[in-house]
Amino acid sequence: MSKNSGFRQGMQVAFRLGTELTVATSIGGLLGYALDNFFGTKPWGLVVGIVLGSAAGCLAVYRVAMTLTLEEDDTNNDLE
Amino acid sequence: MESPLHHFEVHTIIPIHIGGLDLSINNAVVAMWVGLAVIGSMFLLPTRKGLSLVPGKLQSVLEIAVEFIRNLVYEFIGEEEGRKYVPFIASLFLFILACNLIGLLPGSYTITSQLVVTGVFATGIFILTLVIGFSKHGMHFLGILVPPGIPKVLIPIMIPIEIISMLARPISLAVRLFANMTAGHTVLAVLFGLAMTGPLWLGWLPFGFTVVINGLEIAIAFIQAYIFTTLTCVYIGDVIKLH
Repeated sequence: MSKNSGFRQGMQVAFRLGTELTVATSIGGLLGYALDNFFGTKPWGLVVGIVLGSAAGCLAVYRVAMTLTLEEDDTNNDLE
Repeated sequence: MESPLHHFEVHTIIPIHIGGLDLSINNAVVAMWVGLAVIGSMFLLPTRKGLSLVPGKLQSVLEIAVEFIRNLVYEFIGEEEGRKYVPFIASLFLFILACNLIGLLPGSYTITSQLVVTGVFATGIFILTLVIGFSKHGMHFLGILVPPGIPKVLIPIMIPIEIISMLARPISLAVRLFANMTAGHTVLAVLFGLAMTGPLWLGWLPFGFTVVINGLEIAIAFIQAYIFTTLTCVYIGDVIKLH
C-alpha cells in the first residue's frame, strides 16, 4: 500500500507542477492585459502582469517541491 | 474522413427552449445522467436489503473505495475537520471517475473533456474554499495573502503574487482535467483515423497503438480523478489551516 501511495503522489506532483507554472503565468498576463484595457496604459500592465504571474508560478512550484523534499528528509531520518 | 475532434461535438437530442434559455437535452447531458445512474445503482444495489456485516463482492469494492477516499481526506484536511467533507469529496471523485471511464466506451461522450464542465466544478470548489475560509477565520482569512516570515518591504509585491496564485488554483484544476481528457481522446481519434486510411500492411501499426493508448487512457481516467480530488482536499486543507 505504501509503495502504491508513493507512485500516486509522484503522479500527482508531476501533473500538478506542469500546469501550475503555465497557468499562473498566463493568469498574470491576462490580468495585466485587462488592466491595460481598463486604464489605457498599453504595454506596462502586460509586462508587470507577466513578471508577477511567473513569480507566482515559481512560488507555487517551489512550495510543492518544498513539501516533497521535507517528506523525503523525514523518511531518510527514519532509516538512519 | 471524420475529423478527430468529431466526438467532442454536442448534438441536441430533445430541444427545449424556455424563455430564451437553451435547456436542450444533448448527448453530454445523457452521458452525465448515465454516470449518475451507474454510481447511484452501484451504491443502491448492495444496500437495498440493508448492509450485510460480511460484505458481498460489490459491497467490499465500494467499502474499499470509500475507505480510500476517507483516508485521502483525513490525510490532507485532518481527521477532526475532514469528517464533514468526506461525502462531498467522495461524490466528486466517483462522479469524475465514472464520467472519465464512460467516455472511453466507443460512441459515448466524455463530459470531462468540456472546459465548461470542469470549469464549473473548479469554480464551485473555489467558491467553497472562500466560504469555508471566511466563515472559519472571518477577516483574518485575508492573512492568507501574506505568507508568514516575509520582510515588510516585500508585502506590496507579495500580495499581487498571492492573488494571482489563488486565482491560478481553480483554473489549473479545470484545465488539467479538461486538457488530459481532450488530448487523450484526440490522440486516440487521430491514430484510429490513420489506421483506417492507411493500407492494411501499414494500418496495423497505428491500430496497435490505439489498443495500447486505450489502456493508458484507463490509467489516466483514474489518475486524473485522483488528482482532482486530492487537490480539492489540499485547497480546503490550506484554507482551514491558514498557513
